Amino acid sequence: MLRRFSTIFIQNRGIKHQVKLKWVRPPYVPAYKPERSGDLESMPEIPPTALGKDYALSDEIKDAPEAVKKIFSVAHLGQKEYNALVTKELIDRVRRHNYDENTAETRIARLTGHIRCLQETMEKYPKNVKAKQTVQELIDKRKKLLKYLRQYDYRKFEWLLEKLNIEYKGHPESFHKLSRKESLRKLTEMHCEDIRNKKLSDYRNLLESQQGPFLKSKLEALKFIKNEQIELQLPVTVSDQDIKKVEQQLEEWTIKDQIKKQAMKKKRNVLMDLD
Amino acid sequence: MARNVVEAAKKFLLLGQCVPTVKQNAAKIRVKRLELDENLLMYFRKDEFYYCHDPDKKCKTGDIVLIQALPQKLTKLITHEVKEVVYPLGDVTDPVSGKKVAKERYREDIEREAELYGKTKSTFDFTKAPPRGWQDGKKDFTSKPTYTKFHVFDENDPYAI
Repeated sequence: MLRRFSTIFIQNRGIKHQVKLKWVRPPYVPAYKPERSGDLESMPEIPPTALGKDYALSDEIKDAPEAVKKIFSVAHLGQKEYNALVTKELIDRVRRHNYDENTAETRIARLTGHIRCLQETMEKYPKNVKAKQTVQELIDKRKKLLKYLRQYDYRKFEWLLEKLNIEYKGHPESFHKLSRKESLRKLTEMHCEDIRNKKLSDYRNLLESQQGPFLKSKLEALKFIKNEQIELQLPVTVSDQDIKKVEQQLEEWTIKDQIKKQAMKKKRNVLMDLD
Repeated sequence: MARNVVEAAKKFLLLGQCVPTVKQNAAKIRVKRLELDENLLMYFRKDEFYYCHDPDKKCKTGDIVLIQALPQKLTKLITHEVKEVVYPLGDVTDPVSGKKVAKERYREDIEREAELYGKTKSTFDFTKAPPRGWQDGKKDFTSKPTYTKFHVFDENDPYAI
């Protein structure tokens, strides 16, 4: 009876974990969000007194009274005209010539303007399904255009990323739904790798710490052998070069050891401060 | 006889494309081959991957390169070396006329067209643009493979999607 209850309340997934890993599932981020779409800036600032895109070209508006100007300003004309100005500003950043409408850079700039406006809309009305679909399609199209641009003109691609403030990430090998098993497997692999690296570095440190005493004894032994050979008038097998080499090695080791000890001290001090 | 064939095969140059890899001291090259299916009597594409020794880092992701087998394996993984970069990605020179090309047009022609229409200040200038790589790791994340984000780490990896 008790066992039956315990199985109900404690979920047993059938995997015995040897290592204790804490897995946090990454939170869901909608694809229209700037961090997913790669937009590093929001809409450019446009004053509400700016005139509408087409009206600004007219000669009469220049010396019109304030009240008329107010009527033809974007604050009065509505969001659509405002968005048109946003797109125009982005296109003006990269435009090749005045009649340039259909080159890759202008197309990408136009899409970017549209995307940023729609992202604003989505922030206000997250349940607007039509806008959600549109912005997703536009983001995909922009990514495709960037991909092609990268293939035939890399320098322009990089310049465009800088001008429009977009981030570009390559396609992953496979788009798949994240599973618990896969994540745990990867985390375990990383954990094992950490253990392996730690053991290796520990062993390396041990060996390096033994290097100094060994070099000292070697130096003494070499000098002793040389003196003995000279005293007993035997052929000298230990040259000055050998001794110099060992001395040099010892010097290098002491410098390295000092640096290491200082780093250790610093670490210990930091830990003490934390406590 | 067999040994001669193997040695001759080692001298072959292979043409492949550099693909993103996490290895820092080697380049991963994809060589496209065709394999005959004897039942269907049809050729199917088959990719082979080689890790190549590239100490000067002369090839970047997407470049078309020539590789050759090393006389001895450098490591268990690295068997080839990068001989030459034939076509850098997005910076192609026409081999016949020696002019720079973007897509199907000469760069001169594109420049000339912009001049005729009236160049603006915002025009992209190819001659003044820095060579590829100044955005690598800042806004352009293509040198390493991207993957699905599987855990919330303290540090955010830009290659996780």
